[in-house]
Amino acid sequence: MKLKEVDRTAMQAWSPTQNHPIYLATGTSAQQLDATFSTSASLEIFELDLSDPSLDMKSCATFSSSHRYHKLIWGPHKMDPKGNVSGVLIAGGENGNIILYDPSKIIAGDKEVVIAQNDKHTGPVRALDVNIFQTNLVASGANESEIYIWDLNNFATPMTPGAKTQPPEDISCIAWNRQVQHILASASPSGRATVWDLRKNEPIIKVSDHSNRMHCSGLAWHPDVATQMVLASEDDRLPVVQMWDLRFASSPLRVLENHARGILAIAWSMADPELLLSCGKDAKILCSNPNTGEVLYELPTNTQWCFDIQWCPRNPAVLSAASFDGRISVYSIMGGSADGLRQKQADKLSSSFGNLDPFGTGQPLPPLQIPQQTAQHNIVLPLKKPPKWIRRPVGASFSFGGKLVTFENVKIQSQQGAEQQQQQHHVFISQVVTEKEFLSRSDQLQQVVQSQGFVSYCQKKIDASQTEFEKHVWSFLKVNFEDDSRGKYLELLGYRKEDLGKKIALALNKVDGPEVCIKEGKQESEFLPSAGGTFNISISGDIDGLITQALLTGNFESAVDLCLHDNRMADAIILAIAGGQELLAQTQKKYFAKSQSKITRLITAVVMKNWKEIVESCDLKNWREALAAVLTYAKPDEFSALCDLLGTRLESEGDSLLQTQACLCYICAGNVEKLVACWTKAQDGSNPLSLQDLIEKVVILRKAVQLTQAMDTNTVGVLLAEKMSQYANLLAAQGSIAAALAFLPENTNQPNIVQLRDRLCRAQGQPVPGQESPKIPYERQQLPKGRPGPMAGHTQMPRVPAQQYYPHVRIAPTVTTWSNKTPTALPSHPPAASPSDTQGENPPPPGFIMHGNVNPNTATAQLPTSPGHMHTQVPPYPQPQRPQNGWNDPPALNRVPKKKKMPENFMPPVPITSPIMNPLGDPQSQMLPQQPSAPVPLSSQASFPQPHLAGGQTFHGIQQPLGQPGMPSSFSKPNIEGAPGAPIGNTIQHVQSLPTEKITKKPIPDEHLILKTTFEDLIQRCLSSATDPQTKRKLDDASKRLEFLYDKLREQTLSPTIINGLHSIARSIESRNYSEGLTIHTHIVSTSNFSETSAFMPVLKVVLTQANKLGV
Amino acid sequence: MIHDAQMDYYGTRLATCSSDRSVKIFDVRNGGQILIADLRGHEGPVWQVAWAHPMYGNILASCSYDRKVIIWKEENGTWEKTHEHTGHDSSVNSVCWAPHDYGLILACGSSDGAISLLTYTGEGQWEVKKINNAHTIGCNAVSWAPAVVPGSLIDQPSGQKPNYIKKFASGGCDNLIKLWKEEEDGQWKEEQKLEAHSDWVRDVAWAPSIGLPTSTIASCSQDGRVFIWTCDDTSGNTWSPKLLHKFNDVVWHVSWSITANILAVSGGDNKVTLWKESVDGQWVCISDVNKGQGSVSASVTEGQQNEQ
Repeated sequence: MKLKEVDRTAMQAWSPTQNHPIYLATGTSAQQLDATFSTSASLEIFELDLSDPSLDMKSCATFSSSHRYHKLIWGPHKMDPKGNVSGVLIAGGENGNIILYDPSKIIAGDKEVVIAQNDKHTGPVRALDVNIFQTNLVASGANESEIYIWDLNNFATPMTPGAKTQPPEDISCIAWNRQVQHILASASPSGRATVWDLRKNEPIIKVSDHSNRMHCSGLAWHPDVATQMVLASEDDRLPVVQMWDLRFASSPLRVLENHARGILAIAWSMADPELLLSCGKDAKILCSNPNTGEVLYELPTNTQWCFDIQWCPRNPAVLSAASFDGRISVYSIMGGSADGLRQKQADKLSSSFGNLDPFGTGQPLPPLQIPQQTAQHNIVLPLKKPPKWIRRPVGASFSFGGKLVTFENVKIQSQQGAEQQQQQHHVFISQVVTEKEFLSRSDQLQQVVQSQGFVSYCQKKIDASQTEFEKHVWSFLKVNFEDDSRGKYLELLGYRKEDLGKKIALALNKVDGPEVCIKEGKQESEFLPSAGGTFNISISGDIDGLITQALLTGNFESAVDLCLHDNRMADAIILAIAGGQELLAQTQKKYFAKSQSKITRLITAVVMKNWKEIVESCDLKNWREALAAVLTYAKPDEFSALCDLLGTRLESEGDSLLQTQACLCYICAGNVEKLVACWTKAQDGSNPLSLQDLIEKVVILRKAVQLTQAMDTNTVGVLLAEKMSQYANLLAAQGSIAAALAFLPENTNQPNIVQLRDRLCRAQGQPVPGQESPKIPYERQQLPKGRPGPMAGHTQMPRVPAQQYYPHVRIAPTVTTWSNKTPTALPSHPPAASPSDTQGENPPPPGFIMHGNVNPNTATAQLPTSPGHMHTQVPPYPQPQRPQNGWNDPPALNRVPKKKKMPENFMPPVPITSPIMNPLGDPQSQMLPQQPSAPVPLSSQASFPQPHLAGGQTFHGIQQPLGQPGMPSSFSKPNIEGAPGAPIGNTIQHVQSLPTEKITKKPIPDEHLILKTTFEDLIQRCLSSATDPQTKRKLDDASKRLEFLYDKLREQTLSPTIINGLHSIARSIESRNYSEGLTIHTHIVSTSNFSETSAFMPVLKVVLTQANKLGV
Repeated sequence: MIHDAQMDYYGTRLATCSSDRSVKIFDVRNGGQILIADLRGHEGPVWQVAWAHPMYGNILASCSYDRKVIIWKEENGTWEKTHEHTGHDSSVNSVCWAPHDYGLILACGSSDGAISLLTYTGEGQWEVKKINNAHTIGCNAVSWAPAVVPGSLIDQPSGQKPNYIKKFASGGCDNLIKLWKEEEDGQWKEEQKLEAHSDWVRDVAWAPSIGLPTSTIASCSQDGRVFIWTCDDTSGNTWSPKLLHKFNDVVWHVSWSITANILAVSGGDNKVTLWKESVDGQWVCISDVNKGQGSVSASVTEGQQNEQ
């Protein structure tokens, strides 16, 4: 495709490779006279601007010269490193002169542009070449066998390569070897070429086919192979290009006979040794592969001969040709459409003609019917063979999961060169891991979750904490997993009970020590009379008297009022107590209204139990105290809300320090979402490690909340979900797909998370949850079915061979060491115990089944219906036949069926799920629950470890306590007394028992009486067979504490779920199946509100465990 | 000679294309390599392959020196040609699927200087738009901008179709990177010309969006330079280049990691290097990937080979 043209009859030289932009220099040709027969000459420089779509070349400079040229070359000598215009233009003139021009000066418009000039040669200098290794060396050839080697640094005295060849002849071509710097070749119209070795200073070989018809018009060395060169012949009788190898110099290696008439010029591409340009008197410009002789391309040209042709050194697709019709044309050999250019021409035309009625005839010109021929010329086909420079030899692309796909094509260098068969082709898939610390910490976190070693984990974190705040946060988190968590919280806030006790004692001793005695003395003296004798009841008119009267009439209210009025607070309170509950309350209120002491409000709150007031209005500097108060007094049901409230206040405070402290409140409250929000505000979460910091806390807190509050922790807020998916994305990017899946929140419909889950599942080679799942991440789009018929790809035997390969797949070491630790990353091992496994020894992994053709019956039901996803393929496979389908399945698939399979006596469990914790739980723990519950008709699929199953959710509660048989205490203790939200110790009891009225117990409803009798009977049985006093004590205690249960039964405040569960336990006690009882127990605990059951369930567990142990 | 290798959306399938005119698809799950399909249809070397988003099915596009773009699709476990685009006059060097949010749109860059955009309009029909003279002597690479709704980083309320502005970048033999934007009338317009390279732009890669307002493009060139272009302003008009490195050889390919924080650069010396921006904004080489030979600081493991 023609890119540019210049109307000149001129020799041409491209600027050297280093030059940017690309210039083309033209010098008036000595051989031709143009149509004007002008004898003036000029040297011009044009810029090749490809961003300009017009055919014009931008002229940069014109220098009027007194010379005409036979040869023009542009060498890079002394170019500045930046590649600004420089180098040297070297021109061969008509009279034996060689002139050096400075192109930068020409462009700058200087008058003095000639660097040097020498006319040592005889006759026209037709041949010039720059040594590419030493660019200061220029070879020139002229008449009389004259060859000179010029040093541009010392231009005055040229060297000769050796003795002149005899007989004397014109030198038409000269060329430096492209591989060996001291080898030079020259050729003459006589057809002989001579190769010179400059080190030996003599010709080393002469090349001639002895036909006497070779009339050398062109000579070029092979760009890559040092011993090969081509010679072109101008003779119409032998219009050939000969390829010679100096090692076999007796005859040409190959002869290219593609031109019909003599060849005028050749040019061998430096960018691709398989491209040789030649132009001839047949008016053709051909591009051939000199290594094979094949013509790759014929440039569409006019009918004029070209006498000079040049590759652009910098842009390998560009060449220029100078033709005898006085034009230099620049072409691209990449083909392409000339429409745009033609349009330009048309525009030019119409701008010249003005409009469509150029001659004012009153009639517009008829539309031009472009002849068919022209239309064909619009599209110029590219080279038959792609040039080397567009063949991408190497590449690396990232893909999901931090995988990097790289390919390379290593060429094994052969002597013949460019033989593609010699290449080796590899594609590599590598795992890129850049965040090692991040990964190892994430790994640790997962292990902790798995092993439930939260306390030690938190401790480790505390020890490693860099900042005080960090330490606090971890301490607070740790407390969640310890006994008496509220007490510990208080300690962390600086309120240690023992310390306080000591302090108070100290204070009392100090102040009251001596006084006590005095007081006692006083008291004795004061009370002596009253003890023994009479006392005076004054009914005088003063206050005392009035009070007395009121008391005597039983009017406590007035008496209290009077006392208050008289500021006799103690009296007032004492009287109010006697006057009953209502009066006491009123009195308290009035007292507080009156009292102004600093701690009144605190006392108010303590007595009135109005903690909201404290939290809402305390000075935020005292947040610790407020939190301490809440920790001490707040009832379980309001505890979280109060902590929250305090946190919110702290957070909204401008002080950044307080803002961070809000995190502590949220930890106490167990409010994960707010913790995330608060943390994110305070920290920069963009880097992986700081995200890790956050996630560690969140995970631990969620776990804690789940353990202690037995709440549904699975609902994930927007912000947390975002953070978790960010985290999962990071993990995935490091190749930890399994971990990413484990951390991804499950219970969310946020599209990005659902999509990520789908991607992760599939990346792991698992099929994605099936059709029951509402989470189809994308709306499906229909695409046309492929055209049926012979056109189809020649392939498709994937599945059967797939199975053959399967074992190999498993062995393949692509699983990272990291993921080896998690069961999920391993290829599916067929579950040994699977009774319905009919697949033989190597059942394919689920992935194959899901979209395979293994089962011909289902093949038809596949993809066509679901172009988007494979979800819909799942239904064709009946579950029971393919039990292994289940076992690596991600969550949603199994959840529903499993629920259905729950034993009837279970109430539908409150979904208590932990997206993070359980998936990687000890598989055994997940199997255990089923053993005792014989009637549970679970299919075999459920009995395999299902690391990522949300389906595991249903069993979640069951797994937990059983999951760590070795460490029961760590789990059960917090349940008994450690939870925030549970009333702890005497403080609470005290507050709650303030009302002194004795409650008359209602009877236990008949239908639940059986519970009491069963449990008490069991305790009695245990007591009778228990031997050691410790056990007996435990049982006694249990017996007492079960009263809480009976109370609740009386009040009928228990939820039906719990009641039913208790009855189930009773039944299993009756059948002496204590382990089943325990299972049910666990289920109840995990699915019910902790505050509802915390008073009696742990005790019941003790009893059941003892019964089991004693075998009563 | 392999010219491209791309994993699908999930990283479970590998598509390669080669000088032998073939496109091959391998199942590479769990480290295996199973040839699933050997797709024949091109009549010249195949330069690039591109996977469409799986919401449209299993679809692969390939482009070749034979001037054709072929879209392949898996039906019933069988890969077939579903469409052939013959609208270019020269080698088609690059194909890239638009973000899936826009529908099924493929951009193709050709040595004829044009870029064509194929949009699936349903019922087996593809609409073609063509940008002529996008890059004189040829377009070498196309890369779509991530789908970002202008003026907001968060998804718009559901139900309402977000008003995306479609953009892509192209690089060519005119040493330019050009940014193209779809006008309201559906026509593509050159929005921006990025000039820094002094030789052919071999590849451009628009970085995935990570929720930041900054747009980033990596470009590499025959001149051995790799530039990182960033645009912070919301109008998207001010792009500033930063030289990542000047290599001694042509740089053929740049590829962003999914999280957009690592750039893989592959050069003519058969070397692949990984680059990451440091805290102070400098780009540092974190690894030379020696394929299959273990690794330096950023560990690279598990090489695997496909003899082709």
